[in-house]
Amino acid sequence: MEKKIRVLIAKPGLDGHDRGALVIAQALRDYGMEVIYTGLRQTPEQIVAAAIQEDVDAIGLSCLSGAHNELFPAVTELLKTRGADDILVIGGGIIPAEDVPFLESKGIRKIFTPGTPTIEIARYIERAVYERDGIPLEQPIEVEAIDHIGIAVRSIADCLPFYQEKLGFSLERTETVEAQKVKVAFLKAGNFHLELLEPIGDDSPVARFIAQRGEGLHHVALEVRDIDGQLRRLETAGIPLVDHRARPGAGASRIAFLHPKAAHGVLYELCEKKAEH
Amino acid sequence: MAQSSTDFQKAYEEWLERTKRLMEKFPERKDEFSTGSGIPIERLYLPATLNDEYMEKLGLPGEYPYTRGIRPTMYRARFWTMRQYAGFGSAEETNRRFRYLLDQGQTGLSVAFDLPTQIGYDSDDPMARGEVGKVGVAIDSLADMEQLFDGIPLDRVSTSMTINAPAAILLAMYIAVAEKQGVPADRLSGTIQNDILKEYIARGTYIFPPKPSMRLITDVFAYCSQYVPKWNTISISGYHIREAGSTAAQEVAFTLANGIAYVEAALAAGLDVDRFAPRLAFFFNAHHHFFEEIAKFRAARRIWARIMKERFAAKNPKSLELRFHTQTGGSTLTAQQPENNVVRVTLQALSAVLGGTQSLHTNALDEALSLPTEETARLALRTQQILAYESGVADTVDPLGGSYFIEALTDQMEEKVIAYLKKIDDMGGSVRAIEQGYMQEEIHRAAYETQKAIEKGEHIVVGVNAFRVEEEREPKRHRVDPGLAEKQIARLQAVRAGRDGERVRQTLAALKRAAEGSGNLMPPILDCVKAYCTIGEICGVLRGVFGEYNGV
Repeated sequence: MEKKIRVLIAKPGLDGHDRGALVIAQALRDYGMEVIYTGLRQTPEQIVAAAIQEDVDAIGLSCLSGAHNELFPAVTELLKTRGADDILVIGGGIIPAEDVPFLESKGIRKIFTPGTPTIEIARYIERAVYERDGIPLEQPIEVEAIDHIGIAVRSIADCLPFYQEKLGFSLERTETVEAQKVKVAFLKAGNFHLELLEPIGDDSPVARFIAQRGEGLHHVALEVRDIDGQLRRLETAGIPLVDHRARPGAGASRIAFLHPKAAHGVLYELCEKKAEH
Repeated sequence: MAQSSTDFQKAYEEWLERTKRLMEKFPERKDEFSTGSGIPIERLYLPATLNDEYMEKLGLPGEYPYTRGIRPTMYRARFWTMRQYAGFGSAEETNRRFRYLLDQGQTGLSVAFDLPTQIGYDSDDPMARGEVGKVGVAIDSLADMEQLFDGIPLDRVSTSMTINAPAAILLAMYIAVAEKQGVPADRLSGTIQNDILKEYIARGTYIFPPKPSMRLITDVFAYCSQYVPKWNTISISGYHIREAGSTAAQEVAFTLANGIAYVEAALAAGLDVDRFAPRLAFFFNAHHHFFEEIAKFRAARRIWARIMKERFAAKNPKSLELRFHTQTGGSTLTAQQPENNVVRVTLQALSAVLGGTQSLHTNALDEALSLPTEETARLALRTQQILAYESGVADTVDPLGGSYFIEALTDQMEEKVIAYLKKIDDMGGSVRAIEQGYMQEEIHRAAYETQKAIEKGEHIVVGVNAFRVEEEREPKRHRVDPGLAEKQIARLQAVRAGRDGERVRQTLAALKRAAEGSGNLMPPILDCVKAYCTIGEICGVLRGVFGEYNGV
């Protein structure tokens, strides 16, 4: 099970600019963390108390008023006095490069300045927390089952008789996925599914596949839980991905493709089915 | 009913006549304007025939609905006021920067206060830790204000003060300093920001809850209409709303919605619309989409004129004119390759000028890193001077008026703004919408969308997500004296020791009584200020009576 990282985003001092703090809070939430935002005008004492009470893994401090050299170290010192200096502290805002070594010497782990992509901050926190907790960073993903095998065909109608009459598959449903310019037919035999993919138009990715490699095996779909967490693991491990974020697939599932160059020529799909109630 | 073109011809001739009379009092900068090739530049360019649609949407400059500007001659008579926001450290240091900027040809002052001053804490308050003198000048008492304007004749400069929750107190200090210089209040000109609603929405330097805050504001309106008639009593600000991440349409919509709330509060306090409305001023952002910004300024003027005329039945033409200050967009500046910011600022400043601004602050190139140095502050001012004196863009009124693109954008901006205004009206007005977090949520959503678009590379920021360089040069920086807080606290303690303690107690007690009652608070505040009560003491009394606002 993935660790759910908890972060406190805090505005120390009197600075009222919280666009950055709010955007980062939202981005960390979208990344899968639990985020608490303190609101404006918090004293270091209030921030540390909230961090301990909320049992967070990390504190993100934001200051644009130039008071960072006084206020950021006050937070790390208080954490130390309260025996909570396992909580990681990072900072951001209008912070000149020449102040960074001083802040780092006071226990602020990293300063992120304007223009930093939010994903970089999320990954930094994740890595630092995992390291602290001794959770190996590069874990394999957890596959539940093969969900289905995708087969590219020129015409579903033409090959259905083969699957139905010779191999004994039954047709579950057909569906058109406009975004992928493809018509799909789901076939079932026993507890096993095939997905026949028929291109709509010449610019469909499946049409290009057939043009290059002919009809045949297209992809293998692996069923996973927590597709976002699995994608992050692959991303952390540097596996090339077609989709960095999960997108809607057929039958209310969420899917993402790995790049075939990552998998010795096989196109893998991760597939998270809609939770069953 | 359609008017005939003869009527329009007549309207135009009357305008010419009025403009001629105005020019006798306020002549244009030159007798004739022309290009280097000898092509004459007219004051105003118009369509071949004036028709209903033109007159209704655009009209003539200086006339309803003011789309083309609020003066018939605009910058042909006088350039916009070049007003650079400055303030840091002690009053003494800021005074030096003011004198420097005036020497460099700046035409108005604009004071930045530090956060403790803006939130009503003395420099020795525990809440002020780390903040004294950082983002602006520290003002604890009248003694600091006297030093801030030392040697600057207040009857000859106009001063804008970015102060909101304690605006009444800082205005009272300004009046008191002027009095000591022998300048009567009715000769003072300038602006206090005094716009609390956008503090709740976007900027965060609020103190009191909305209701008493609105009372302080309308008290200032009433007091100034009688004693400080040339003072802009409020600068209703979209700037910070935009900086917090809003779109251009949201910026105008939320600002005008706040404007409506102030007008309604003043009317409810029994003031006559044509007494206070002429002193309402606005403050907008000039952001990166060049044409949309120009359209935004023009649309804002037209919408406000219609609101004042149709909704509030204002009669005085001055009540209908949306006068505004512009600052280039701080959040568009990048810490990476900071010299690129000069180009951004130039384009943004140009959009403000083409949009008809009354005054302008151009950001310095290093503001994503720290406060500007003397050199970068000068370059920012020079940018305006080049636009004014070299580019020729100020030689005709509303140069882009009639452009198919600009007029279409102006109309569509107006539609979007009106849709928002309707929505806010339906929610029960600006104050209610703020209390429900509506504007805050809309702005946050837009800010997050922008961030995602930048990270996906859909929205290019040169030097940040494209065209990067490996080694960033760290430019020279402005440094606030690290010993400043200590010195300021010593100064504050000397003031406390040297003043008449009895008078302090009496004036603060009188203020408390007034706050508990319903009378105008300006006179008792003025008494406190003159007794050298500190900003923390005055705000402390008001906090005791009014309570504090803690966000939504």
